[in-house]
Amino acid sequence: MSSTYDQLVTILTERFEVSQDEITPDTTFEDLEMDSLFMVELLLVVQNEMGVKIGEDAATTGDTVARAAELIDAATAAASSS
Amino acid sequence: MSGPAVAVTGLGLVTAAGVGVQDTWKRVCEGRSTASRDPSLKGMPVDISCSVPAYDTNELLGRRSALKYDRFVQLALIAAIEAVADSGLDPDSWDGARVGVVLGCGMGGLGSYDEQHRRMSESGPENVSPMLIPLMIPNMAAGHVGMRFGARGPNFVTATACASGATAIGAALDLLRRGECDVVITGGTEAGIVPLVVTGFARMGALSTRRLDDPASASRPFDADRDGFVIGEGAGILVLERAEHARARGARVRAHLAGYGASADAHHATAPDPEGRGVALAVTAALADAGVAAGEVDHVNAHGTSTPLNDAAEAASIRRLLGDRPVVTSTKGVVGHTLGAAGAIEAALTVLAIQERTVPPTANLTERDAGVEIDIVRDQPRTHHSRVAMSNSFGFGGQNAVLVFTEGA
Repeated sequence: MSSTYDQLVTILTERFEVSQDEITPDTTFEDLEMDSLFMVELLLVVQNEMGVKIGEDAATTGDTVARAAELIDAATAAASSS
Repeated sequence: MSGPAVAVTGLGLVTAAGVGVQDTWKRVCEGRSTASRDPSLKGMPVDISCSVPAYDTNELLGRRSALKYDRFVQLALIAAIEAVADSGLDPDSWDGARVGVVLGCGMGGLGSYDEQHRRMSESGPENVSPMLIPLMIPNMAAGHVGMRFGARGPNFVTATACASGATAIGAALDLLRRGECDVVITGGTEAGIVPLVVTGFARMGALSTRRLDDPASASRPFDADRDGFVIGEGAGILVLERAEHARARGARVRAHLAGYGASADAHHATAPDPEGRGVALAVTAALADAGVAAGEVDHVNAHGTSTPLNDAAEAASIRRLLGDRPVVTSTKGVVGHTLGAAGAIEAALTVLAIQERTVPPTANLTERDAGVEIDIVRDQPRTHHSRVAMSNSFGFGGQNAVLVFTEGA
């Protein structure tokens, strides 16, 4: 997986009390018992720790961790090409 | 006009004396203060507190509970889990619509408020957590207890400052008597050891400042040399049931809640009425509600904050209203002043005093104040058979709440 995915896994384990062995690329945030408020909080942390500008509703609870990493990469690419 | 008594079938306590009823009761009976220097208050004008010993949030409340619940909610949940287990009721099979939750809380999640306010000041509004509001609003204590146990009956939080916990228990009594609930999980919770809040109390002169180098001696209710309270935190939960509901399931009844009286001093924002008119109204109403005469009260768990004004006025009121019969204690000497939780923690300790036939001592009482002419337990717990016991709580705003408990079985 990408380094973004790895960073996301680190944030989830260190800040959101998820154990590493629960996370696969296909795991959704719902599977991790994260509701919409936790998603906003997660994207806030992503913005601060990865220095990427991403909308608070960019990822939803139904998305997988891999999909969220793709969305973060897309946001990073959009920011660097603009 | 008295109403029927209700059964106390479960207790839960989280205090600076320990996480759980047994640890708290043991320490309170030893009469050893829990006050200590508090690193979280470093640099504040008062840096001592009675803090709950460290606990594992995830182990007690499940994953991400530290992120989901402000500390005041955590304390309420931990105590409620203990109280419901203690009652022998099974939340998986009870009729949730008949189970209410009424908790007292003076402040709510000020720790979360403080933290997010700092985030906004330092990094801008876009960094404020979306969790802020559900973390800090005070009614969440009852809300989360209801969610945890599937209790879908009336669910609310009362705020009468330092009387909040007792007010909540009084409101729970009303719900049971009206037949609106069979069971009410009631009590109070507070996590007010926040630098800004503690400093606010210090600025108004309510806290003890003379013994910051000897914190364990600072909270000394009714002592001649008292100079203010020591802030504490915690939660106390009682499971109350309609007496026939408890009887029908063969529940162990720890004690009965027989009466509740409430009043207002209508005198001053923070000082008690020196003539004690409001207290007299609440005490008289609670006794009438319980169908008990003033001369029958065996034990009083006093509000006894260790402030010069409260303790003098309260001692005079007890003497005038109840005579010299009751054996009096203030457990704030050990656990400090837990604000909105105090009335509930003390109600639970009053129930234990009845059940164990033991009145705990008032910590640090070395020289009784000259004007205090009541029988206060000191040094050692006293073996005492209390058939009728009273728990007093008085809040800023002049709000008074008095509970009367009687023997169980």
